[in-house]
Order: sequence, then C-alpha cells, then structure tokens
Amino acid sequence: MNISPIDFYYFPLSAPCRAVDMVAGHLDIPLKKKFVNTWQGEQLKSEFLKLNPTHTVPTINDSGFVLWESRAIITYLADLYGKDDVFYPSNRRKRAVVDRMLYFDMGSLYRAIIDFQIPIMFRGEEPDAGKERVLLEKLAFLEQFLTDYPYVAGENLTVADLSILASVTFLEAIDFTLSSFPKIEAWLQRLRKELPYYQERNQDAIEEGKRMLSERK
Amino acid sequence: MTIDLYHMAPSGPCRAVRMVAKIIGVDLNLKNVDLMAGEQNKPEFLKMNPQHCVPTIDDDGFILWESRAIIQYLVNKYAPDSSLYPKDPRQRAVVDRLLYFDMGTLFKAQGEYFYPQVFKGQDPDPEKESNYKTALGYLEGNLEKSSYVAGDKLTLADISIVASLSMMEVLDYKFSSFPKISAWMAKVKEEIPDYKAMNDEPLQGFKAWVKSKKPQ
Ligand SMILES: N[C@@H](CCC(=O)N[C@@H](CS)C(=O)NCC(=O)O)C(=O)O
Ligand SMILES: N[C@@H](CCC(=O)N[C@@H](CS)C(=O)NCC(=O)O)C(=O)O
Repeated sequence: MNISPIDFYYFPLSAPCRAVDMVAGHLDIPLKKKFVNTWQGEQLKSEFLKLNPTHTVPTINDSGFVLWESRAIITYLADLYGKDDVFYPSNRRKRAVVDRMLYFDMGSLYRAIIDFQIPIMFRGEEPDAGKERVLLEKLAFLEQFLTDYPYVAGENLTVADLSILASVTFLEAIDFTLSSFPKIEAWLQRLRKELPYYQERNQDAIEEGKRMLSERK
Repeated sequence: MTIDLYHMAPSGPCRAVRMVAKIIGVDLNLKNVDLMAGEQNKPEFLKMNPQHCVPTIDDDGFILWESRAIIQYLVNKYAPDSSLYPKDPRQRAVVDRLLYFDMGTLFKAQGEYFYPQVFKGQDPDPEKESNYKTALGYLEGNLEKSSYVAGDKLTLADISIVASLSMMEVLDYKFSSFPKISAWMAKVKEEIPDYKAMNDEPLQGFKAWVKSKKPQ
C-alpha cells in the first residue's frame, strides 16, 4: 500500500506523541514530523488552534482529516493501515480488551504517572507520598495483567502495549525504578528488543526530552 | 441474550452503559454493587475485576469493565450497523476522540470540582470550576459546528457525555452560560428511551443522600 505522509504535530518527551510515533513505525506509515514546542507555548498559536482548538499534541492531519487524542489516533491508524488482525483485532472481545486497556492507560496509569511526576520534573518538588501510593497501585494493576498474559491485552502485541509503553517509560525522565514490578520489567525488556523502531521512536525521543529538561533548569 | 451488569445506579459511567443497552435493545440483568459498603472489594468481585470498579459486565463469561470500552463492545457486537458507533474510520475516530475527551478532560475536571463538594461537604473551589468551564467551552465549541458532539447524529459520545454532565444535577448546577450544551442536553434526554427512570430517579436519590449528609 502506498500511504501518503501524514502530518504529525509532536513534542519529543510527550508520552502520547511517542505512542503515535511508535504505532506509525509499526505500521510503516510515513510521518511528516512537525515539532511543536509546548514548553514555549507554540501550541497556542492561532494556526495550531485552527487545527486543534484544545491545543494538544499529538495531532495528525491525514489528507485534510485532523485528529487528536493519541488513543483515538492510534486506533484510527491501525484500523485504516493495519497489516494484520492482531495489532488492533476485529474480534469483538479481543478488541474490547484492547480498548479497556487504552482507557486504563489514560484514566488510571498515565494519569497517576503525570500527577506524581510533573511536580518533581518541572518544579523540583520532593516526591509526594500520596501520589506515589496511587501510582504504585496502578502499576500493581498492570503487573497483575502482565502476570496473566505476556502482553497487556493478551497473547499478542497490540496498540495498547505501545500506548502503555510510552506512558511507563516517561518515568525514565525522573529515573523512577520499576524493580518491584518484575513482570513489567520483563515486558519492558522484551519490547525494547522486539520492536525495531523502539530506539529511534521512543528511547531517542526520551533522551532528547531529558536534554531539553536539563537545559531548562 | 441477557448480560449481567454490575453497577451502582447514580454512577455516570454505569448510567451510560444502561442507556446504550436500552437504545440497541440489549437486556441487562442488573446487579447492584454497594460501593459505600465496599462490595467491590470482596473476593468474588475482585476475581472478576481486579480493578474493582463498576460498571462491569459479564456477557456469557466474557468480563469487561471501563464504561466506554463496554459501550463500544455492545454496539460492535449487538448492533454493528448502528449509527451510534459509525463504521467509517474517520467518523468512528471522531467518536473515539470525544470518548477520550470525556474521560480525560471533561469528566476529570468535573470530578475534581464535584466530588469534594458532595463527599466532603467542601465549598465550591473557583479554580476547579474554571478548569471545568474550560472543558465545557471546548464542548460548546463542538456543538456550534454540529448538532451532536461528534457530528449530525446521536453517537456513543453524546451518551457518555450526557451521563457525565447530568451528574451535576445533584448540585443543581446550571449550564446557562453554555447555550448550545443546554439545548443539546435537553434534546438528547428526549431521544433516549426511559431516560428519566435510568437517570433522574437515581440522581434524585443521590441528591437526597448528599443533602442528608450536610450539617443543617
Ligand atoms: N489525552 C491527550 C493528552 C494530550 C496532552 O495533554 N498533550 C500535552 C503534551 S504531553 C500537550 O499538548 N500540552 C499542551 C497543552 O495542553 O496546551 C492525548 O493522549 O493525546
Ligand atoms: N473509567 C471508569 C470509571 C469507573 C469508576 O471509577 N467507577 C466507580 C464508580 S463511578 C467505582 O467503581 N469506584 C469504586 C472503586 O474504584 O473501588 C469507567 O468509565 O467505567
């Protein structure tokens, strides 16, 4: 299939952006990357607001169809450009579990990660014990899911793995250790090796984000 | 077919599931879970759903939670041709985008404003209200462009968002500075069969409970 390049508005450290980038890598979708420096308010410029009035990255423009919300983007890309019936399965039960995990990521896991991490990362605050407790509780749910199955939504790699992978690795920016979660650790190790696009689309982006962070300080 | 729904009547996400099932004609066998009494933390429930939240469904042995995943599943399985969840990838993506907006932005901002008032008896926090209004403003903007939140037809996103916003009736909160939202809510409520029984009654009950907890 010949896919015309999709405009991809992104910021490197942003977890939802890295998720979209990895999914595009998985599906061999060419992206025309457009850096939006959200630390300098570039998302509030009128050209960007015209595309996405809620001014968030990631945002894509697929030949005139503009979409935001990372999880809606990745399921859209997988539905349209999927190469198999595994990555975002059409089987209703399997798909429902993938969707459930995407909501878990957004509403529980990633939420807990940002609540805990942002004050530490940007304001140099001490870790908040209450927020850490919530985060550990959400990570324990993930640990449990990965005890039952090798991937977050079952026997195979799906879009939910990449969304959650992008979220969990955000914790690297504050060097948070996951050593008390052996299943999560093992899953991370496995994905790092398995995904040919991991280094470029996730690790390098995080490193770039860390570099920007240190310059900001 | 009958599907078990573990729920608590006033809960927004639970009401969303009931409304969708009603519209597509799926019978639900309602199983009440008393969250105030901690029933969701009992071993039988945790065995089904380690994340211990309602709504949770049991469809012939298939257990699923997360309200928005449930309503997507119900339409995919039992009403695949319904315009509630369009098949066209772009239209579907817009519905999905709004479901995520509901969860991550709107219902979140609403909860941060609402819960301290109803469960802790705190005064309204102006900063929290301002965040909530920003989220409502995005929704108002959508409704200036189309008659439903994700286009020209009623979809899962309308139902999920109506379920969220109607929670504010417990506080008699009015959306008067958002005329499009107000008109759209009134219209959607009319369109959903048995809206009152599934929503107004449990919300009235919840409101009475909140009042009874308030020091006189
Ligand atoms: N739920 C959204 C979250 C998007 C989001 O919050 N993006 C941040 C960067 S990680 C952003 O664009 N912030 C700038 C702003 O909100 O103005 C998604 O998954 O796409
Ligand atoms: N994102 C979930 C939220 C579910 C949720 O938070 N449910 C609440 C009631 S509204 C609950 O079960 N709380 C009890 C608990 O988590 O232990 C959904 O949409 O289904």
